[in-house]
This record gives sequence, structure tokens and C-alpha cells, in this order.
Amino acid sequence: MLTAAVFAPLLGALLIAGLPARRAAAARWVALAVTTVPLSIMVVAWARFNGGAGFELVERARWIPTLGVTYTVGVDGISLPLAAMTSLLFLAAVVFPFDTSGRPRAYFALMLFLETASLGLFLALDLFLFYVFFDVSLVGMYFLIAGWGHGEARRSAQKFFLYTLAGSLVMLLAIIGLYLATDPRTFDMAAIIAHPPLPAGGLRATLVFFGFLIGFAVKTPLVPFHTWLPPAHVDAPAPASTILAGVLLKMGTYGFIRIALQMMPGTFRRFADLVMVIAVVSILYGALVALAQTNLKRLIAYTSINHMGYVLLGIGAAAAASDPGARTLALTGATTEMVAHGLITGALFLLAGSVLTRSGTYELSKLGGLAARTPLFTATMALAAFASLGLPGLAGFVAEIQVFTGTIAVRPLAAVGLLGIVLTAAVFLRMLQQVLLGPLPENLRGWPDLGRAELAALTILLSMAVVIGVAPGWLLDVIDASARTIIPGRR
Amino acid sequence: MLWSLVAVPMLVGLAVAGLPWQPRLGWATAGFMTALVGWAAVVVAVGSPTSLSWGPRLALTLDATGLARVMAVLVPAVAAAVLAWVAATGGGHEPRPARLIGVLVAFVAAMELLVLADDLLTLLVAWELVAVCSWVLIGHRHDDAHRTRQAGTAYLTTRVGDLGLFVAAGAAVAGAGSLSYDALPTASAGWLGLVAAGVLLAAAAKSAQLPFSPWLFAAMAGPTPVSALLHSATMVAAGAYVLARLAPAFAPVAWFGPVVAGLGLATSLAAGLVALASLDLKRALAASTSAQYGLILVAVGSGATGAAAGHLVTHAVFKALLFLAAGTVAHATGTLDLRKIRVGGASPPLTAAIVVAAAALAAAPPLGGAWSKEEILAAAGRSGPWLTAGVVAAGALSALYAARLAVLVLRPATSPVPPPKTAEAAPLLALAAVSVALGALWLPGGGRLVEDLSGGRLAEGAAWELPVSVAALAIAFTAVTRLVRTDRLATGLVPARVQQVASAWFNLGSLGRLAVVSPTLSLSRALGRIDDAVIDAGVRSAVAVAGACSRLFAAVAELNMDRVVGAVAGGWLAVGGAARVADDNGVDRAVEGVVAGAVTLGARARRVQTGLSHQYYLLVAGGIVVMVVIAVLGRA
Repeated sequence: MLTAAVFAPLLGALLIAGLPARRAAAARWVALAVTTVPLSIMVVAWARFNGGAGFELVERARWIPTLGVTYTVGVDGISLPLAAMTSLLFLAAVVFPFDTSGRPRAYFALMLFLETASLGLFLALDLFLFYVFFDVSLVGMYFLIAGWGHGEARRSAQKFFLYTLAGSLVMLLAIIGLYLATDPRTFDMAAIIAHPPLPAGGLRATLVFFGFLIGFAVKTPLVPFHTWLPPAHVDAPAPASTILAGVLLKMGTYGFIRIALQMMPGTFRRFADLVMVIAVVSILYGALVALAQTNLKRLIAYTSINHMGYVLLGIGAAAAASDPGARTLALTGATTEMVAHGLITGALFLLAGSVLTRSGTYELSKLGGLAARTPLFTATMALAAFASLGLPGLAGFVAEIQVFTGTIAVRPLAAVGLLGIVLTAAVFLRMLQQVLLGPLPENLRGWPDLGRAELAALTILLSMAVVIGVAPGWLLDVIDASARTIIPGRR
Repeated sequence: MLWSLVAVPMLVGLAVAGLPWQPRLGWATAGFMTALVGWAAVVVAVGSPTSLSWGPRLALTLDATGLARVMAVLVPAVAAAVLAWVAATGGGHEPRPARLIGVLVAFVAAMELLVLADDLLTLLVAWELVAVCSWVLIGHRHDDAHRTRQAGTAYLTTRVGDLGLFVAAGAAVAGAGSLSYDALPTASAGWLGLVAAGVLLAAAAKSAQLPFSPWLFAAMAGPTPVSALLHSATMVAAGAYVLARLAPAFAPVAWFGPVVAGLGLATSLAAGLVALASLDLKRALAASTSAQYGLILVAVGSGATGAAAGHLVTHAVFKALLFLAAGTVAHATGTLDLRKIRVGGASPPLTAAIVVAAAALAAAPPLGGAWSKEEILAAAGRSGPWLTAGVVAAGALSALYAARLAVLVLRPATSPVPPPKTAEAAPLLALAAVSVALGALWLPGGGRLVEDLSGGRLAEGAAWELPVSVAALAIAFTAVTRLVRTDRLATGLVPARVQQVASAWFNLGSLGRLAVVSPTLSLSRALGRIDDAVIDAGVRSAVAVAGACSRLFAAVAELNMDRVVGAVAGGWLAVGGAARVADDNGVDRAVEGVVAGAVTLGARARRVQTGLSHQYYLLVAGGIVVMVVIAVLGRA
């Protein structure tokens, strides 16, 4: 079943690529139909998910037995919400109206190809498979940015590709280091998690851990490995930005949990304080730099760095915690933050796309007063901004309260990171002030409000943010079940 | 059932905000709020504790205990009067009145959640919802950039305090393993102290205590009915309420009482001076709000939560009345400048309302405001002579500023002032009537009633206290009437130099901008530059090297792309061979096919010419990845 979710988009991509030129316009509708398949499968998977320890709905096939490589997919309470969020985000990205510059087939085929890579990564239960999807996702995103971006699209795409490829090579070395320590040699994630191969303390464990730390820190990204992110976002087309922020960044944080935390719990615990320091730096640095931005999309990009800091803070606290309650709270919060950030920042980037198609610019100084003219745009923008700054009743708060209560219970000093909450509030209030409030400039009098397709895509994302914000029980139940048992033996 | 007090007004508020305005909508909303008062009285009497699960570890829990019961009825009651005033004035003299009253109703919903909260999570949720409602309301005129920025200042100042609640929640989880109020006493002393400190920080910011007080001046950018509700029963009241609610749980924390009382007294004295010095009616009232909540903090700090509850109620009624009356006066005279404002006897009902409200603010017996202030004095008396002297001084200040405001406003008008309509005066008279009726607390049994309703305690007062208070009141009134005769009342009560500083809240706002906001912004700009110039520079140089390599590589590739691709494919197949796999022509062809496909795709994707070399490099890199996949797939 999960296999179908992973490869249905790839089949769709081939189908779209094979469309005759005169039917090219149908590409969007085919893509739309195809993206509902993984989403439906995720809903079914959610219903069938039991929520015990370990992985469920596992599907396995032989692949390279001599290397201990298998094709294995499955879910636990961490990956299921991420995969579901991914399929929702791709649906929204396809629904959102986008000018494909006369190349709809290539665009939508790439988008679906990227969906296969993304879902494959979150569902993979084999380290080798994980790595393959990790790298393939770079290729898909590279072409989306380079082919349909604006500004210095190719340059930004190249930087994104090279930087994250370098990061993934470091990660590959770490994977090989970990693999070589397994006995018998295997890439099977469940087996490695059950018997973490490298005991903490040795030089090799430390080196491998730092390989993962750097590899994932680039992908996430964390300060100071983040400078590929702002240009990639600014020059990427809006739906690609949504996928980049919502899905691709989570690959790094997901790796921190699935690989660094689960496969090297002892070593992670040793360096947990370092990780938490990096997280707090990312939180504060991301928010402070966002405050200085004059470009709407760069601003949102830097708040992503801030939010990924929250995620890592929760993961670091979970690694350090000896109290199971605090650990589960922090880790559940971190996972919730991944989902929440995907939905909310995804929506913010789509809105930035709406701004670009209407104004031709992201410069905040050229906007203003739109509250007087565009009620739908104003409502969604304000909702997304407040969701991002952590307003209760919306998904971000549910995540942040858990991350911070869990973390403060483990390391009270981490409360310094709370300043990030005030700073993001300042960032978004400033953004709303510059885009929506104040007098409406003469040249914006003709600004059209959101269209139906734009509203539909934003509703998909923001309604989920509201549902999770008001009654997140169904989500937290699933995450908690796995967060509780994430490290065997340390319950 | 308790949830209905939150959910119903929240949904009604959001719906009303989206409707087109008409006077009937205003009256209907006021009617709804009046009905909610009755419903709240029923629900808090019979409703049982309830909760909404947020997964296995979290839940939002509501319970109507003691003071929460009183507040749950008080909040919609004050709101009903405010909404009636908005309806009577045809929209509160504001644009988009439907949005205004809709958000006011949602504001009430958030405050109901806050007072009914029975755990720190629910409190935090409500705390932030109240704050965001106030942001929308203060910036109601959203096309006025100055007002919306003031709303931002108010929001951010109180959000600094919100961090305290996050810390408190973390400490509660660490110390008690739970966010529930009931579990707090089980926390160890250290963690409980941290919870108390966090709650105090949040409460001080919300209730406009030092050093956060100036945010109330920024909040003056909002419409008058917003101020009327925000100062009396919502938002600002939240801080004092929560301290009173949780004070019993913090009893083991030795520093809590003295610090709370000291902070309250300091704020009360400083804000009293500000109120005396202010030349703007609404600002003077705003400063008096800080001062009055300061007195409530003194009561909490002295352990007399019953006195705090009493003053919360009496203050809510007379402060809402004061702001609504100020709104009516400002609309009639077109000014808030205390040097110019004068309505004389334009309207007997208005005059009566102003006299009652000012007398309650001045704590003149036999009004209810005087009763609760005397109870606070009694509580302070138990805590020592310094606190007692301080409260006497704060009381004298409040008598002075209340008398000053009333006398200035009621000076005979120089030009005719249009009297308010009957409908507009009605809510004022209703609030005045309640203020007078609260005087019944002076009757025997009044104290017992407050103790029973609020679940708090009162302190035994000393015999000298009431005469001293009345004497202070008399002196204040004499001084004021004397000054008004020489026309020096507006500016003559405080020395000119003090006047300037005090009317700007002792420059605390500028100090905050200088010490906190400006450095943060400078740091932010500096980091923004560093991010580009330093951190990214390292990356750029690495990219430059990689770019040079890729151009070199591409130069080779351009000579004979096919051969390179073939060679790379061959290389990977050789790797496959190392894994004990035989060569296979089919795979080889498939690999080349895929690479060719990728190249075509890339050719479509790029906009012709320039920078081909980068594309080649990337295509080859991407191709390699695909080839790995195919090669291993084919060999499985």
C-alpha cells in the first residue's frame, strides 16, 4: 500500500511526460488527480495505524542482498504525520495556479517526480533507500528552481544543489561508517535501531555522529550552514518554495530523529548540549536576521531557520532527557513543529507567490495598506502570519508549547530560546504592518484579491493548521505513541 | 457546559465581525451579551469541571472555582454595557463598527477561557488569544499606520511577559509532572519558585505594572469602547486575576508575597503621579488603571485575595464607566485635552455618571470602590508599616487624580455642549447604578459575602484606617477645588519639571526603546549584513572553486558528451560489477536512455545559451544518481 503511495506520483510523471503536445494543458489536471492518490493512501494508513512501538504497514522486497540492502517501507508515529503532510502539501502546490511558461508537462512531471522522492524518503526503512531518495529530491528541486524560477534562478539553484549535495555526501560517509559497524552488515533501519552498532565514546562514533550532524544541519538548515536557503527561496517559483520549505527541510530534521537519535542514542546524548546550543543560535539568529529583511520571501525564509531551530531544540532535549515525560513532550513537540511549519510556511510562500504575480516584487517597501482592499488576502495572510508566530488555536502553538515545556524541564537554560518567540512576533507584526496596514498606496488600488484556485490551495493548508491548533488530539496520539518508545530501553 | 461560555461568544463574535453594520446588529449583539451574563451565572453555579484532550499528555481543562465564578459573570456584564454604548452611539464613532463589536465579543470569549482555565496550558492559550484580540482592537483603524504601530507596541510589550508563562509551564512539568493548577503544590520549592516567577512576569506585563506600564499609553490608540473593556474586565485585569487565582498555590514561595506587594505599591505610586501629571483625559485614566491594579497586587501580596477580588469587581465597573463617559465627553467636546475639556452641566445624567465614577475611583465611602480599597489598606496593615504608609499615600494620590479629572471635566462649558442621547446615557447610568449598589458591601455581612463568592480571605482592619482615608480624601478635594478657582488645576498639581517626565510615564517607553528595541534592531541589521558578507562569503568562495571545476569538467564534456556519459555509466557499471554482478547490455542501454532523457528535459528547462557549463555539471551529477538507482535496481 505504502509502495503505491510512493510510486503513484512517479507513474503520473511518466504519464504526463508522455502526453502529446496538443494535450499539454491537461498536465495540471492529471497531476491534480495523481496527487490525491498518495493523500488517500495516507488517510487509509492513518486509519489502520495502531500506534505501538516499532514500524507498521511494512512492505519489503529483495534488492541487493549481498550488501544487506533491501527495499523496505513502513511508518511509525513520526513518519506517518510527515508523509501525510507531504502528500497534502503537494496537492496544495499543484492546486495553486502557476504559470509554467508554456512547459506544463515538464513542470508537473518534475513536481510529481519530487513527490515520489519525498514520500519515499519519509517512508524508507532502509538506509540505502533513504540516501537514494535524499539525493534524488535534490535533482527534482534543482530543475524546478532553475527552470521556472525568477531573478538569478540558475545561480540560486546551483548553489542549492551544490551545497546540499555536499551535505548529503558527508551524510553518505556517515551512513557508510555506521553500516560498516553493523554485524551482520545491514542497511535495515529497524535492525540498526534495535541494536545501535556504535557505542558512544569512541572516536568512530563521534566522527560518524558529526557526519550526520553536518549533513542534516545543511539540509535543515541550521546556522551557520543556512546561506543556501534564502536565495533558493527567493528565486524559486512559489509552489516549489512551498515544497522546499514544507517538505525538503523536514528531511534534515527527520534524519536527526530517525538516524542520529535512534541509531546513535548514546552519542547523541553526549553531544545533546552542543546540539541544543546550535538550535538556540538558529532560533535567535534566524529571527534576528528575518527582522532585518526588506524582501518578503527572504523574511519568510529566515523564519524557517528559526522554526527549524525549535525542532532541533526539541530533538536535542529529547536526547538529553532522563525523564520520559519531558522527553516525549519535547520530541512530540518537535515532530508537531515539522508538520505545523510545513503547513504554515507552505501557505506563507504561496501568499508570497500571489504577491509576486500581482506586484512583480517581493520588496516590502513597495507594498502596504492592502487590508483596505483585499479581504481574502488579508485574512489568509494574517492567519498564516499569526500561525507562524505561534498564536494558540493554530498548529504552531501546539508544537512550540510542547517543545519549550519539554526542553525547559530538561535544561532550564534553554529558556533563552524563548526570546525567539518575541522576535518572531516582531518579525510578523512588521510584515503585516508593511503589507496590509497603513494607507493604501495609489498604485495598489487595482490589486485583485485572491482567486478561487489560490484560495483553494491556501484553504487546504490553513484549515489543517486550524484543526491541529484547536483539537490536535488525533495527531498527538499518533506521534506520542512513537515518541514514547523512540529509544528502545530508555522508556 | 463551561465550554459554551467560550465557544458561543467566539463563534458569534467572528460571525458578527463579518456582517455589514446596521444599528440593529449593535443592539442584537448587546442583547446577546446580556443573555450571556445570565447564562454565565447559571453555568458557573451548576457547571462541572471539563476538559478537551490534546493527546496523551496535554488537555485544556476548565473549572469554575471561587474567583473564576465571579469573573465569568463580571466579564460579559461589563461587555454588555460597553456594547450597549456602542449601539447607542451608532457604532462608537468608529469606522467598520461590525468588525469592532465582533472582535469585542471574541475578546470576551478569550477572557472567559482565561478566567475558567484550570491549568497553565489553557491559561497560556487564553492569555495569547486575549492579546491578539487586543492587537486587532487597538489597531482597529487599520489604515492609520500610527495606530497600528501602537497596537504592535502593546502586543510586543505584553508578549515579553508571555515568555514567563512558557517558563512557568516548563517548570511545572519538571517539578510537578503536570500543567494542572492543582498539581502545583506537589512541585519542589525550586521549581515552584520558577513557576511563580514566570507567572509574575506575565501578570506584571499584562496588568501594566512596572516596568511594562507604558504599553497602556500605546493602547490608547484604540477606540474608546475598546479601552473601556480592556482596562476593566479583560486583558489588563487578566494579570491581577491570575495572581489572585494562583497566590494560594504559591504560598510556599517565600519571596512571592513581598515582591508582588512591593511591585504593586511601586506601580501604584508612580502611576498615581503619572495620572496627576497627564494632560490627556484618556491617558490619565490609563495611568490610573496601572495604579489601581497595583493596589490589587498589594492585596494579593499581603495574602488578602478576597480584597483583591473585591477591588477587581468594583474597579471593573467604575473604570468601564469612566472610559465610556470619557468617550461621550470627547465626542461632545471634540477634545481629550484636560486644559480645554469642559462639559459643565450639559446633561444631568452625564454629570451624575461622572461624579459617581470619580467618587468610586477616589474611594469615597459609601461606594463599593471605597470598600475594596479599605480592605486593601487593612491587608497592607497586616504586612507592616511601610506598606501601610505606601497604600495610604497611593490612596491619597487616587483621591487627588480622581477629583482633578472630575472637577476639570465638569467645569462650566465656554461653548454649548450637545447633551448625549438618552440611549447613550443609559449604559452609563446603569454602570453608575451598579457602582452605587456595590456600596452595599459596607453593610454587615458584605465581607463574608465576598469571601464566600471569591473563595479568598480578607484582613482585619485597624480602627484608624477609615478616618485617615476620609481625611486624605477631604484634603485632596479641598486642594483641587482651590486650584480650579485659580485655573491652575490642569497643570498646577505637580511641579512643571515633574509634569513633563511623569506625563510621559517617566520616559519608560523611550527608555525601553533605547535599551531594548534599538539595540535589537541594530543587532538584527548587523547580523543581516554579516550573514551576507561573512558567512555566505565562505560558501561563495567554495562555490567559486566548485564552479571552476565544473567549467573544466564541462569543457571536457562539451567536447564529447556522449563519451563522457558513456564512461561515467561504464564506471558505475563497473562498481556494480564489483558487487559481483555480471554486465548487461540492457541495463547499459537503459542508463544511457535515462541520461539522454534527462539531458532533453534539461534542455527544455533552461532558457538557452549562457552558463551551459553549470547545467552540464549538474546534469551529469543528476544522471549519476539516476544511474545508480537503475544499476542497482537492475541487479537486484
